[in-house]
Amino acid sequence: MDLQYASMHHDDIDNSVILCHACDLAVRRRALPSGVRALCPRCHTALYDTPFCSINGMLALCLSAVALFLPANLFPVLELHFLGSVRTATVFQGAMAVMDLGYWVVGIAVLVAAVIGPGLLLLSIMSQILLVKMGLNPGWQRDLYKWLLRRHGLFSQITMLEIYVISFLVSAFQLSDFSDIYFGVGTFSFTMLFLVTLFLQREYNIEHMWSRLND
Amino acid sequence: MTDNVQTTGKEMGQCLCPVCRKTNPVNVTNCSRCGADNQARDYGSLQKSWALLITAAILLIPANVYPITTLVNQGKVTHDTIFSGIKHLVHSDMLPIAIIVFTASILVPWLKIIGLATYLTAISFSLPVSKRRLMAGFHIIEWIGRWSMLDLFVISLTVALVNMGQLLDAKPAPAATAFALVILLTQLAAKVLDTRLLWDRLDLENDKH
Repeated sequence: MDLQYASMHHDDIDNSVILCHACDLAVRRRALPSGVRALCPRCHTALYDTPFCSINGMLALCLSAVALFLPANLFPVLELHFLGSVRTATVFQGAMAVMDLGYWVVGIAVLVAAVIGPGLLLLSIMSQILLVKMGLNPGWQRDLYKWLLRRHGLFSQITMLEIYVISFLVSAFQLSDFSDIYFGVGTFSFTMLFLVTLFLQREYNIEHMWSRLND
Repeated sequence: MTDNVQTTGKEMGQCLCPVCRKTNPVNVTNCSRCGADNQARDYGSLQKSWALLITAAILLIPANVYPITTLVNQGKVTHDTIFSGIKHLVHSDMLPIAIIVFTASILVPWLKIIGLATYLTAISFSLPVSKRRLMAGFHIIEWIGRWSMLDLFVISLTVALVNMGQLLDAKPAPAATAFALVILLTQLAAKVLDTRLLWDRLDLENDKH
């Protein structure tokens, strides 16, 4: 990021002055210590922070998330033992169960927020990292990179892993009233997937990714 | 930073790309970096946001009045609305869980709809409300909005696990769809709105603190 506020000229609007996306105030960009966020002085919207965004660090997190994605979705996240019979449910089965009963709006919402959203997000970040590693050559590489960056906001908004993790705790407590509830490999994988994705999203910096197109 | 003189991008003839946040001159039609439409302000967003919000507010009624789950326990059928489900939780001594569910499925949707309505009214009719406070509220609404999904996740897990015929069976009920749409529409209403309009329309004199 350009942090040349000492040697700044008024006409060089592009780098030294940024506009707040919430209230359109022009703010002068300054150097920040790490871990500090710059807020808009007028409306207190977060403007920017010091990006770390190390490509290799993100790649490592991304690979672990991808490795966890399959077990998190294939193994049951909850197991119910009731009068000798054992019922298990994966995230996908949960969505399909409500869909089969005719509540497809609910089913799709669950499927998008807990399976498709995270999947797309991981796939997108992974492709972006690989494209950067390949050198972002003009042509299809840059076009695909731009296409993915434009959709990043949507992908991260429909990813709701953290809420799902809380929801299987809530379900477990609710159902423990009439039956025994057990957590399985799926629960562990899903929670780990949530944690790894959380760190990945902290590491990821969209502005930094966009700025790679400038040079 | 800009302390006393508050210049906006509009006055400087610049505007921020809504997608990639690059600063572009106002007279350019598309962002030079990502190609998105370049607009100084999105005036239509106010109407879109109102439309989505009003639809959500209407759907909030069936979401709360109709049952959200149907439970068959040893042949006995009980319908639970969002509120009665929470009451059950309180009665069965699961207060922390009850608080979580209450926050996610009653407090958050109501707060969001009332909050967004206040926000939109303030912009549409230039009400004398502190913009700073409105903006803080808006950030909270944007952030907590997604937590309403909790209830839907819990329903889907419960339905998948508890299906043992007449002995014990859980099913979703009509309010579930209405509730899902309330979440979707309120999220969209907040997303679609161009918040820069608030700062243009209200006078600075309302913002002394």
